[in-house]
Amino acid sequence: MRLPHLTRALALGAALACAAHPAPAALNVPLGFAGDPASTAWSGAKQGLAEAQIQGDFLGQTYTLTPRLTEVSAIIAAVPPAALKALALAHPGVPVLNVSRTEDTLRSDCLPNLLHVIPSDHMRADAEAQWQKAHPGSGAEARAWHSDFEKYAASQLNHRYAEATGKAMDDAAWAGWAAVKLVSDMVAREQTTDASTLLEALRGRLAFDGQKGQDLSFRDNGQLRQPLLLIETNKIVGEAPVRGVTDVENLDSLGPVACANAH
Amino acid sequence: MKALIALLLLTASAAQAAPRVFVTNEEGNDVSVIDAVTNKVVQTIPVGKRPRGIGVSPDGKEVYVAVSGDNSIVVIDSATLKVARRFNCGDDPETFAVHPNGNLYISNEENAKASVYNPTTGALVAEIKVGLEPEGVAISPDGTHAIVTSESTNMLHLIAIPEHKTVANILVGARPRAASFSRDGKTAYSTSEISGEVKKVDVASGKIIAKMPLADDKAKPKDILPSRDGKRLFVAGGRANRVFVLDEATLVIQQEIPVGIRVWGLALNADGTRLYTTDGASGQVSVIDTVANKVVATVPVGKMPWGITVVN
Repeated sequence: MRLPHLTRALALGAALACAAHPAPAALNVPLGFAGDPASTAWSGAKQGLAEAQIQGDFLGQTYTLTPRLTEVSAIIAAVPPAALKALALAHPGVPVLNVSRTEDTLRSDCLPNLLHVIPSDHMRADAEAQWQKAHPGSGAEARAWHSDFEKYAASQLNHRYAEATGKAMDDAAWAGWAAVKLVSDMVAREQTTDASTLLEALRGRLAFDGQKGQDLSFRDNGQLRQPLLLIETNKIVGEAPVRGVTDVENLDSLGPVACANAH
Repeated sequence: MKALIALLLLTASAAQAAPRVFVTNEEGNDVSVIDAVTNKVVQTIPVGKRPRGIGVSPDGKEVYVAVSGDNSIVVIDSATLKVARRFNCGDDPETFAVHPNGNLYISNEENAKASVYNPTTGALVAEIKVGLEPEGVAISPDGTHAIVTSESTNMLHLIAIPEHKTVANILVGARPRAASFSRDGKTAYSTSEISGEVKKVDVASGKIIAKMPLADDKAKPKDILPSRDGKRLFVAGGRANRVFVLDEATLVIQQEIPVGIRVWGLALNADGTRLYTTDGASGQVSVIDTVANKVVATVPVGKMPWGITVVN
């Protein structure tokens, strides 16, 4: 759980004038990818890698993304549920970022190193219910992403991805991109490639908007808090949390938050 | 001699004409011009698709508008309030800063670069590699440094002028939006929208010397400006619908001034007694008395006002 801003303000206020960043060190950052290299999750992760490397070039950090899963800083995974759990258990302390599976049971299992960038079925159902409440009779489907999304520099990401791959960015591609970007963001901030340090930082200190305009963070159950898009006949009709039903920044109105609440 | 004196008087009186505030309306595709004495819109100028950044030439005769959707800079004659010319300036120009020599330093949001254009000839002078989604641009008053923020790479790029060499790449909080320099050019200020922080940078060392989160989770700060005396910082609070007034030395919030919805842009008049804000979702400009720290007028403008500048 992140500290409220006021507490952070007081803590940082005390630390004023000694807040300079350490000089960045040259780092090699190996990331593993488990999944089908023909999947959109893979092309999204590759897009994230290219963008992470732009930052890496300024800081002396070199990112790689390969099928090797040992001695890596994090694993990006687009595999079926049983394989995903096995992967997390086989690599304790290494962040395993699920970018394709939406099953609620994967969240309620609460494996300490399994993080879910893709939204769960429960989150999507809550988003759709909110939309129904605000727009009765309107049957929208909730998704993580859409290639027509433009706000919050989403159009720039959609353009970059389409230019690189010739494809429209879908949910798994967005999640693959976001997974690499949020890991690289943490590597840059923490100046480490150590998997367990990164896991702890990802769970506690993420500051990332995923081109969705809000401060995203991981719940205790490993799920990434995030706004969702509501789609009807392949057109974006709204965003969740749905204005008028709840506060648009109330990301915890979508899906369970804690392990204990999950079922 | 008499003629010369008459000419000088005429020039002086022209220069003393009421200051005007120019505002880009991102979704209105036009620029609203406000008379700063009456606080009324005196002209609306269509400029093209999605105008955002706006700035004034050093002599005050021209106003430049970054028209993002048309990949161009539109030049407005600040006396006649007509579009004088336009020139292409690379993909998706978002904002820019005007160098004391007249050149424009433009962030091209689609590309990871900043470009330098001569607005008289429309010629590209230089391109500078920066991070992804460059946004805010600031130039030090003496013209020796520029800062470009890259929103998706979370950096401030400190660039030496005229070499156009990047001398520091400073990692900051998530989604840095805007930057500005102190009057002496020794210090720079920046906002990070998603981490809700304000940062202070020592220009000589390229290091962050202080940072402070705004004590409001809704605050998604954008523009940041030092007061004319340098003792305070004004921060547009975005979704907080407030302008934060910070002590420059400590970055502690001294006052919060409620304005309209989604406050993004800030501009000061010449003597610093008035601060103008663009309140995007309210479609208005708030006029703040910087001594009393309160809104003294609100001016309805176009749809989604974004950028703002004062021509004195």
